[in-house]
Order: sequence, then structure tokens, then C-alpha cells
Amino acid sequence: MNRDVLVIGGGIAGMQASLDLAEMGFTVHLVERLPTIGGKMAQLDKTFPTNDCAL
Amino acid sequence: MDVGRHPKIRLLAYSEVEGVEGEMGNFRIRVRKKARYVDENKCTGCGSCAEKCPTVVCDAYNVGLAKRKAIYKYFAQGIPSVYTIDAAHCRNFETGKKCGLCSRICQAGAIDYQQEDRIVELDVGAIILATGYELFDARKVPEYGYGRLPNVVTSLEFERFLSASGPTGGHVYKPSDLAVSEVLATLEKQMRTSSREIERFEKTFEMSSERFIEKFNSGELTGGHYDEWAGQYRSFLPLKEKFKRTKERAESLKTAHRLAFIQCVGSRDSRFNGHCSAFCCMHSIKEAVIAREHDPESEVHIFGMDIRAVGKNFEEYRNRAEGEAGIKFIRSRVAEVTENDSHNPVIWYEDTKARQVRSMEVDMAILAVACEPGPSARRLSELLGVPLNEFGFYATLTVPPLDTFRPGVFACGCAHGPMDIPESVAQASSAAARAASALMGARSKEQGAGSGEQDAESRKQVAGSEDHGAKAKKREAGKGE
Repeated sequence: MNRDVLVIGGGIAGMQASLDLAEMGFTVHLVERLPTIGGKMAQLDKTFPTNDCAL
Repeated sequence: MDVGRHPKIRLLAYSEVEGVEGEMGNFRIRVRKKARYVDENKCTGCGSCAEKCPTVVCDAYNVGLAKRKAIYKYFAQGIPSVYTIDAAHCRNFETGKKCGLCSRICQAGAIDYQQEDRIVELDVGAIILATGYELFDARKVPEYGYGRLPNVVTSLEFERFLSASGPTGGHVYKPSDLAVSEVLATLEKQMRTSSREIERFEKTFEMSSERFIEKFNSGELTGGHYDEWAGQYRSFLPLKEKFKRTKERAESLKTAHRLAFIQCVGSRDSRFNGHCSAFCCMHSIKEAVIAREHDPESEVHIFGMDIRAVGKNFEEYRNRAEGEAGIKFIRSRVAEVTENDSHNPVIWYEDTKARQVRSMEVDMAILAVACEPGPSARRLSELLGVPLNEFGFYATLTVPPLDTFRPGVFACGCAHGPMDIPESVAQASSAAARAASALMGARSKEQGAGSGEQDAESRKQVAGSEDHGAKAKKREAGKGE
């Protein structure tokens, strides 16, 4: 029985899931296709509905 | 960001999952860690390699609006903060030429052209699919002219225009005008080379070019170097004239004032995607509001069948956009985008409130492109044995909604279906909780108490009654009868 978790995709959803699991004490392996995590959200300037900066 | 620092997270960037075996609690995963040709442990991310790299490539992060080098970081604040060599463009790999500039400049000695892809084996208990989405290719809708008309852009390209750290520094210039500055740069380069040649001739023969050309025309000087000089000088004059004209045009560059946002490009369209992409209404409104903030003089219109502002405070945001920011919403479906002589897009639409077909000239048209499942969704679905739904996103149970049809595999975010950021974050936390409870449940089952069994039972039931694909097939079969 293994208690590690694999998260595929390092966008906002993948990062959030990884952080939550890591905080719960699980070891997480986060696999991302691109050289850098961040996903589509990193390309956005601001986000709705608060117009906060995305990065 | 915290993900890169967390001691419990092992980050495998620039990697792809290649094989999955086993079952919940005991998955064996094979991951290909692609060669960066840069040692991740040595690279400090200083960037002097990219400064010196001679190869210039289109930048995917800025959706092709800017350039990057063949050794690059995806974006400045990217994590891990490590450079990568793009082997498809690097001189060393592409042509086999000896370049080696980056390895000579790198003080950390991190460059390793001999690096190879590495296979990493992982043992995990649960898998979360957060593979996200791809944007619809707007070229598939020829009537909107994307790719053909320079001033028709996608919503993500416009996002990079608005970004202060983007390629235009936050100014919304018309792409057709931006092309002028590129032409100007090329002309300047050509002119510099040409004038250097001419100067060389002037020095050698100690004569000004004007005087020489007079003599040459009268037939006093002919042959060899003189012919070359004359040719060079004759091609230089029109170049100079062209440069002057282009420079005048480039200096009178104005930002785009009249903007048109066209909704549902590739979504809610039976030719492409039947589904609603969920976030584009709000995305366009947000871009419209920011554009008005940058330039309060601008006129912004949003063309759409309806505005779907579903979410906490979203409708209020839409109303503020109309009331305070002065954005005009036109209930319509755009039929076609054409172009006039000054490269301005002309929007042809039916105003469904006025019941009239109208046209409007704008400086720039922005297409709200659909959210589609990425290519990795299909690949992973086959690899993992997780079926997709009729739209190509991962099929999930009705309850619990993030469980796929394979126990121990969960889907969240846009891999699950189109959704906005707050919802993605909520789903991600939820998927994390599901994975945790599955692992804890499996453990307690090992100890004799079976809470996981219930799950398996519900999965069977749901798979029997709620399989979307099967349902759709049944419906189609029914039609036939």
C-alpha cells in the first residue's frame, strides 16, 4: 500500500491539489509537460472578478 | 511559489507520464524526464546564456507576439528557475554546427549537450489528473479571418497585449502597426550594411558617392569596382526613401481605440464544440474593463448571444462593466469579419434586439476562443484506461463528481470540463481530499474495515446507469428506430 500521490499537470488546479495534499502530509509527485509550472494562468494579466494580478 | 519549495512536493517539470500499471494503492508509474541539456542542480537562472544565444525563436508564452532565444526560461518568474535548451532550434543540435556559446558563458558549468532523457519510476497510491485545456484554433472559423486579417487576435493574445510585462508593455497597438516597426528594424539593418559598403568605396577611391555617380553616368569611370559601387549606391537611395516613409508611419503609431470582442468562437457552435466554455464571457468582460482602464477614451463593444455571468459576484462585475466602465453589450451573433483599406476589421452582425443586420468598423477584433480538451487528455485516457466524455474531457461519476471510472484516479480543473479559476481551485482541493480519503480508506480496508467497498459499489451502479457515452449512443440508436 503506497500513500504517495501523482499529480499530472502543473497548472493552477495541479498546483493547488499538490499543495493541499502536501499540507496533509502526503508525498506528492507533480509532473508537468512544459519546462515551467504555472499553466495557462501564468499567461493571464489580471483575473476576474477582482482584477487581481494573476502571477 | 510554494510548490517549488515544499519539502513534500517532488517537482518533475519538463516530463511526461509514459506508463501506468497496477491499481489504486499500488500504481507503478513511468515518467520520461526530458533532457533540458542544462543541469537543474547547477543552473542558477542568471540568464547570461540566453543573452548571448545567437538563435531567435517565436515565444510560445507570449503566444508568438515576442521572441525568445533557443536557450530559454518559459517565463521570467517561472518555477523551477532553470534554463532549457530548445533542441529543435539550437544550432548545436539542429545543424550540428559548433556553437557552444552558452556553455562557454555559463559560470556555473551547467550546460550539458550530452544529457539524455531519463526514465523515472514512481510508486503511488492515487493519481490526480489536472491536465488542463487547450484553446480552440480560431483558423478553423474562416469567416472571422483569424490568421488572415492582422488585427483579429485571440483573447489570450490580447491578454499579453494588456500585460505590463508583455511584449508591448501594456499598450494595445494594432498588430498591423506593430508589423511596421518590425519592417523598420529590418530596413535599418539593410541600410546600415549598405552604407558601410558605400563608405568603404568612398574611402578607397577618395571621392563622394554623389560625385562618383555623376562621373559614372557620364561614362568617365567604368568596370570592376566602379560597377559594384554604382549598383550599391543605386539600391541605397530607394532604401533610404522607404526607410524615411516607414519611420514616419511608425512614429505616428496610435493605440487601438475601438475594440470588438466576439464571443463563442468555437464553442456553442455545432460545427466545432457543442459545449459552453464557461469562462470566456467573464474573460472578455475583464479584458474590456482593463482596456478601458488603460485608455478611458476607448470604445469597447462585446458581441454575444448572451452573457453567462454565473459565479459569485460575476453578475455584479458585468453590471459594473456596463454602468461604470461604459462597455457596450450587443446581443448578436457575428456573421463575418472583413477588412477595409487601413487594415481595420469590419464586424458584420445581426443586432437581434433591433432585428437589423449592421456593420461596425473597429481597430481590433478579439475572438473569445473556446476551451477544448488538450491532446494529452486523449493520450492519458488511453494510457490510464480512463474514458472520456462526449466532448473529450475525462468522464467522471455523477457522485462523487471528481472520481473517474478507474478507482484511485481523480480529475479536476479544466481537464474535468471548462471552468474558471476559482472553480478550478475549489475542485483541486476537493480532488486532493478525495485522493487522501481514498488512500486512508484503502488503508483502513487493509486493516479490515471496508469503507472503500461502498465506493466501488456506487461506481458500478453509476457506471451502469449514468455513462454519458452510452446514453448518447442509446439516444442516437433511438432516433434511428
